[in-house]
Amino acid sequence: MNTTTQLSDSALVSLYIAGNESAFEQLVNRHKNKVYTTILVIVKDSYTAEDLMQDAFVKAIHTMKSGRYNEEGKFSSWICRIAHNLAIDHFRKEKRSPMITLEDGNSVFNNMSFSEDSAESLQVKEDTHARLRELIQALPQTQREVLMMRHYAEMSFQEIADATGVSINTALGRMRYALINLRKKMLKNNIAYDKNLYSE
Amino acid sequence: MIKTSTQNELIQYVYDELPEEACTQLEAALMQDMELAEGCSELLMIQQLLDEAAAAPRKCAVDNILNYSKSLSLQS
Repeated sequence: MNTTTQLSDSALVSLYIAGNESAFEQLVNRHKNKVYTTILVIVKDSYTAEDLMQDAFVKAIHTMKSGRYNEEGKFSSWICRIAHNLAIDHFRKEKRSPMITLEDGNSVFNNMSFSEDSAESLQVKEDTHARLRELIQALPQTQREVLMMRHYAEMSFQEIADATGVSINTALGRMRYALINLRKKMLKNNIAYDKNLYSE
Repeated sequence: MIKTSTQNELIQYVYDELPEEACTQLEAALMQDMELAEGCSELLMIQQLLDEAAAAPRKCAVDNILNYSKSLSLQS
């Protein structure tokens, strides 16, 4: 049994800096989906998102290995911020709307409960999630930013307020509008929004 | 009509950021106010959908990262 499984991110970072590669593997596996999704929502292309995810972790590796990692913040917020910045840089450089790449089958999702679903149910869920990511991408920038920071980078609303230079009430309001807008768009686009579909 | 301050508290509540005392008050209000309870339920459902919408990279991309890190360790 791997003894690093239940350790905090901070402890895993310390172990990694001390040379424990398995601690780094835990960190990557713990955060890869959030980092990848943070990028994918912006660039929309799965291959580009994988490239940028690798770049984000490589930056993190160099920062940690060189002793420049600041332990004050959360690892998840930090790595997602690196990912977000790389994705935005890429998007600006492209100066065009990226092509949407169709994602292949089960590799898109890690949720083990999906394995018991029928192929049709899997497809419905997959379509729903892909369309939801497109709707997130279409949100106003300030709303999308708060949603990504809170939901995927796990920053608190106070941390988001500090990072974006607004009051906590403004950050909360933006999150509220982001979720309301998503719900409206989902209803308008007839996206599956069914309790039974998502129940255990 | 739900007050803006309550709606903001609802957001903090579903993201586990509402202080304990305010949390108790909001939970009491949720038992009395159907509109508020429906709003909370909608938020929780969207939150769950957002969780499930997280995509996963291919294994080869993850392996590249891990191998890169190991190669640096071997060099040092």
